[in-house]
Amino acid sequence: MEGETKKTFVVTRFDPDQDEAPRTDTYEITVQPDWKVLDALNHIKDHVDPTLSHRWSCRMAVCGSCGMNVNGEPKLTCKDALSDYGDTVEVAPLANFPVIRDLVVEMEGFMEKFKAVKPWIMVAKERAIEEGTYRQSPEELDAFKQFSMCINCMLCYSACPVVSAEPDFLGPAAIALGHRYNQDSRDEGNAERNEVFRDDGGVFACSFANECSEVCPKNVDPSGAVQQAKLLNVIDWATGLVVSRGGK
Amino acid sequence: MSNARPRLDAMRPSQPGPTRTADPRPPDKFPGRGNYLGYVLFGSCGVFLLLSSILVLRIVWALAAGEAAWNDLMAQFQNPIYVAYHVLAFVGLVWFTLRFFSLFPKTQPAKIGPAPRPPDAFFAVALNGAFAVVTAALAAILWGAVL
Repeated sequence: MEGETKKTFVVTRFDPDQDEAPRTDTYEITVQPDWKVLDALNHIKDHVDPTLSHRWSCRMAVCGSCGMNVNGEPKLTCKDALSDYGDTVEVAPLANFPVIRDLVVEMEGFMEKFKAVKPWIMVAKERAIEEGTYRQSPEELDAFKQFSMCINCMLCYSACPVVSAEPDFLGPAAIALGHRYNQDSRDEGNAERNEVFRDDGGVFACSFANECSEVCPKNVDPSGAVQQAKLLNVIDWATGLVVSRGGK
Repeated sequence: MSNARPRLDAMRPSQPGPTRTADPRPPDKFPGRGNYLGYVLFGSCGVFLLLSSILVLRIVWALAAGEAAWNDLMAQFQNPIYVAYHVLAFVGLVWFTLRFFSLFPKTQPAKIGPAPRPPDAFFAVALNGAFAVVTAALAAILWGAVL
């Protein structure tokens, strides 16, 4: 077929039953010009080595399952064109995560961090149905909309040097999600979330490398969210010194 | 005896106990890739802030110790090592400040209290403009053009 080329894939492998540590396998395959990195991995699994394990689902940059390190950079492999790479492509599991098998990483700690920021609308008293729906202006929506576009692909965690040095750090995506709810005009849970943000491993652990925002495949700005959460927490803390919170 | 094949539980791990995982590895190509280099250099400029603060204390101490101590310190500052340090610190701290200004807009939330966030251009003009004015004024004072 026209445009076909050969590429060599150096893929990290790890079998917890057999391998002491991750190793690499090399596959040389013929690729189509319009393939993404994920297409090549699926081709290897389907036609060359069925033991290769990797996560994927939607193939359209929505589910966030197929995050991997490609040539040393965290990428969403279903969105990452093979034509952007040379003859050799190195594929490894996301950095900063324990590896379960081959390219599949352990997500449990990541999910716990998400739960910690209470990512849901909190209100002191539910509105009665007769009072109608919660209304929100376009300006109020703009305050948080970009932070709600996160697909939980974990690329930002893989790029973060603070997560690497301090594994308890809440991390970019979880803080961006908490900040998203803090900025939501319908929410009244700021005080609870800010306690989590100000705790050890919270927003002040971030030293602003800004790489999380660079690698985000959905153009969310998690590093901006973390810095904004820092500023709002300082204001919230300073305000609390002079204004009574009514016991909350 | 049944001839049926024994049933296999495909989801059962081949060995009992929790799955063993490989340790996480740090981000690849750190600190040479993307923002990492700028981030590390930005943090390293803290050395200039520390050393320059110590030098300011030394200057204040010399001021309090009389004219001889002051003249002695000024003579020491003619040393090429001091001159080289000050050039390096000047370049480093100007870059530090400009990088901080470039990152500053994203640290501002959509609203602080009732006040809406100004556009990015406002931050760029205000911060860099103030920096240029203050630097020019200080340079004029130090060169004796003013005061």
